[in-house]
Amino acid sequence: MKKRKLNLETLPDLQAAQENDPKIRINKENTEAYQPPRNGIILLEVLITLFFIVFVSRFWILQVHQGADFARQAQNNHWREERISAPRGRIFDQHGRVLADNRTTYGLSLVRDDIRDLTATLAQVSVWTGVPLEQVEERYRQSRFKVKSFEPLLLATDLDFDLMARIESELYAWPGLEIVVLTKRSYPEKDILAHILGYVAEANERELDKDADLAMGDLVGKAGLELTQEKKLRGKKGLYDIEVDASGHMVDRFLREEPQSGVDLRLAIDCEMQQACWDALGSQAGSIVVMEPETGKLRAVVTAPAYDNNLFAEGISHRDWNALRNSPRFPLQNRVIQSVYPPGSVWKLLMAACLMENGISPSETVFCGGQTKLGNQIFRCWKHSGHGRQNLEQALVNSCDVYFYLMAERIGIDKIEEYAHACGFGQRTGIDLPHEKSGLVPSREWKKRRHKRVWTRGDTYNVSIGQGFTLITPVQIAVYVSGLLNGGEILKPLLLDTDEKDVRMRIPARPQTISFIVNAMRKTASSGTARVVRRTDADMGGKTGTAQVVKLGKTRRKSSELAWKERDHAWIATWGRKNDKTYVVIVMVEHGGGGSSVAGPIAAKVYDYLFSEERMGTEAGQRAGASGTGTDANRPREPAVQARKSR
Amino acid sequence: MEKKQPLLRHLNWALLVCALALFAVGEMNLISASGTRLESGLTLASFYQRQFLWGLLGLVCMSLTMSFDYHRLSTLTWYLYGVTIVLLALVPLIGTTVYGAKRWISLGLFSIQPSELAKFAILLVTAKLMANESEPLGWKTFGQILLATLPPVALIVKQPDLGTTLMLVFIMAGMVLFHGLKAVVFRICALALPCIGAFMWFVGMHDYQRQRILTFLNPGEDPLGAGYHILQSRIAIGSGQFWGKGFAEGTQSQLRFLPERHSDFAVAVFGEEWGFVGCLALVTLFALFLFSILTTVIQAKDRFGSLLCVGVFFYFLLEITINMGMVVGLMPVVGIPLPFISYGGSATIINFIFIGLVLNVSMRRYAFRI
Repeated sequence: MKKRKLNLETLPDLQAAQENDPKIRINKENTEAYQPPRNGIILLEVLITLFFIVFVSRFWILQVHQGADFARQAQNNHWREERISAPRGRIFDQHGRVLADNRTTYGLSLVRDDIRDLTATLAQVSVWTGVPLEQVEERYRQSRFKVKSFEPLLLATDLDFDLMARIESELYAWPGLEIVVLTKRSYPEKDILAHILGYVAEANERELDKDADLAMGDLVGKAGLELTQEKKLRGKKGLYDIEVDASGHMVDRFLREEPQSGVDLRLAIDCEMQQACWDALGSQAGSIVVMEPETGKLRAVVTAPAYDNNLFAEGISHRDWNALRNSPRFPLQNRVIQSVYPPGSVWKLLMAACLMENGISPSETVFCGGQTKLGNQIFRCWKHSGHGRQNLEQALVNSCDVYFYLMAERIGIDKIEEYAHACGFGQRTGIDLPHEKSGLVPSREWKKRRHKRVWTRGDTYNVSIGQGFTLITPVQIAVYVSGLLNGGEILKPLLLDTDEKDVRMRIPARPQTISFIVNAMRKTASSGTARVVRRTDADMGGKTGTAQVVKLGKTRRKSSELAWKERDHAWIATWGRKNDKTYVVIVMVEHGGGGSSVAGPIAAKVYDYLFSEERMGTEAGQRAGASGTGTDANRPREPAVQARKSR
Repeated sequence: MEKKQPLLRHLNWALLVCALALFAVGEMNLISASGTRLESGLTLASFYQRQFLWGLLGLVCMSLTMSFDYHRLSTLTWYLYGVTIVLLALVPLIGTTVYGAKRWISLGLFSIQPSELAKFAILLVTAKLMANESEPLGWKTFGQILLATLPPVALIVKQPDLGTTLMLVFIMAGMVLFHGLKAVVFRICALALPCIGAFMWFVGMHDYQRQRILTFLNPGEDPLGAGYHILQSRIAIGSGQFWGKGFAEGTQSQLRFLPERHSDFAVAVFGEEWGFVGCLALVTLFALFLFSILTTVIQAKDRFGSLLCVGVFFYFLLEITINMGMVVGLMPVVGIPLPFISYGGSATIINFIFIGLVLNVSMRRYAFRI
């Protein structure tokens, strides 16, 4: 440490200052007296050096050595990913009418962090929306712990635009309330297409587990086409990179992936036709299928009673759900594909082909005396007096049961079963709807397995007329009748408007067999049991069926005498051709009574619509090169005078 | 004024420049630390404006401190000490409770923190007691110093205020070490210290204080609780990497991940935005600042002045080390601000008063007014 010595010569200023101000003293005595302790100075110098080294190296470690790692942590701190929901594909009918739409609605939500006076705010929401205050408060309480304090909590939904606009003008006075835009699925046609379209609802836990693309609150198809076409309809979610601050508030966002909206679907269904069929069915429980035999396209698929699928899309209430579930008329059931019925005499269309292909000559006759005996059992024909001598064509036209009893007995159940399977019965048609039933074609093994009894000849008798164990769905018979008209192709019934015909199998029958049956149907429609559908302006064919639900005694009772549940199912399977347009129309009325008396007139109404002058006109207009319209405009079909008597 | 000119000529200009430079860095850093980035853009709180006013007020107080001969403080020492003890004793009776600790006495318009005054008192008392000792301290003087330190320390421990307690003890200890102790005294103290430490841990500390030290030792254990501060500040500084993210570009601070970013953790904001380069510059500036105090320690004309500067030296060294040590994860979280960098009105004023004290000593190393 250098010695400091006061050198007065170097301090002229001080001297001058002293001269000016005698109070300033030059401290001569102490200048050499005080020496700071040597070790103390070294201590301070060491401390400064240590301070410098420690902190510089610490900053080096943190910022340079581990810097990249911390930089990543900082990134993770403030970047989040957020999925952008893609609009769901819409569903249109044949002519572009919207059947399933995405509706924009408005809702009011509340951010707890920003709210000043909760009670007053909830009360105000109640005043605006007209929802009782208790309900608003209940809704708040329910979501209180599910939603973070800075996230919007939905208080009211389904506000229309006008109401929303009015609320928005007053919203400034209510911090914490905000308007949210919600997308809802809506089905403008409601009941008449409910089973076909199905509905969407929020994904449940199982669906969330199965599909990583789904998030809480996403809508997924739960039934109908919404379920089976989910992949196409859903689209692909986009991705936002969201920059958030420490409390999770969004600060900025960048689009990383565009959302891809779902594919719009165009159905083969003609909504107007669907409505006409719906009206034709009236208040009956049952179903109507209108199919184009050449393409397999389903132009109308009606099942009644139905439900309003909008209820499900909006979140069905417990009361509504229980009402639907417990209704004795089963409105949730899609009767076209999910209900199986004994086919009754409609089955004879299949039996005829089966007999002809198994060596029975159509000209061979059987005598029908109204009944036939098998052991001590009596099997009756529906006509007590009997049909007399019947060949195959007569047996079809008159629907003679005895003919089919005896002929079926001759070829045996194994052949029948094999043939029915080859024609698509006892298995699903592959329609794009969930939960399709396959129906049942009984066999020896099946009976053994199911009932632990051996097959009897009586069972064969019953199967031959579409009774007993045999069960079919309406769509199966539609596919089969279409097969008869398109040269034997068993097609997948198409709900979507696609040109890809899907031939699933072929009716194992020679062309003359098929044309024989088609011809027999034509005769049945002109003079047989199905003459209720006869028209002068179109080529028609049909076959009725009355399927017994309960085993009856000796005499057949009238429907009106029976309880609804015990009445017969009424069937009619028909086709009609006018101006190159061919339709297969299947009408099935549950517990309706007679096929020709109940199902027949409904089918006739459907044809009235299908072959109406204006409709044929528009169809012709839509199809370039189609030939002219029908001429007989005034009275297209004969009155169904004998409907009640015939079968 | 003319009369003072020669005094100003011997002023420790380097110290003043360093202090003003640090204040400028702090002010600039505060602008960024006041910023909060929201969806609508960057919004600034008014911390930096207020800090600027506090700085001006601090300069005025500094000038006042320089205006009289520091030897007058020697005569005032015991009065000041007495006032401090009285105020500290009053705190438990009439003080206001903030964050579970009673430290403030409200005087209506503003509040005072007697523990701040205690730093000044201890500094003066220690300097005065040692001023006439030319040899290393023996038991007598050392005992006097310990006795004088004990009452304020005990009162402040009870508040409780761990940070200020440590400051007092270390300022006193630093000054004593600077002056030197007799070998016997030193050895006995070196043995006794661990025992006192253990006693403090088990008896003298509140649970939250123990928790802070434990958290400091293992911050990852509780990332959103007590360790959150340490973790986020380390992430902030570390993510600055070599060149930093740029002024007002720090995501940790602008997006409010960093707690106390304008006060105790202000240097984390600086580290994030200016990187290693900035931190190196800042540490260098602090080192120069301390060296310039050391210059006056060496140049002071008498022991009392020199010891005053040593006290100031330790005051700043400790504040800087404890605060930065806490922010970079070398020390537990203790609520001590970083001089000139952290926002704080009374701290700024006190800092400038301490600077004024050193400047006072440096000015009057050759001459003084009676």
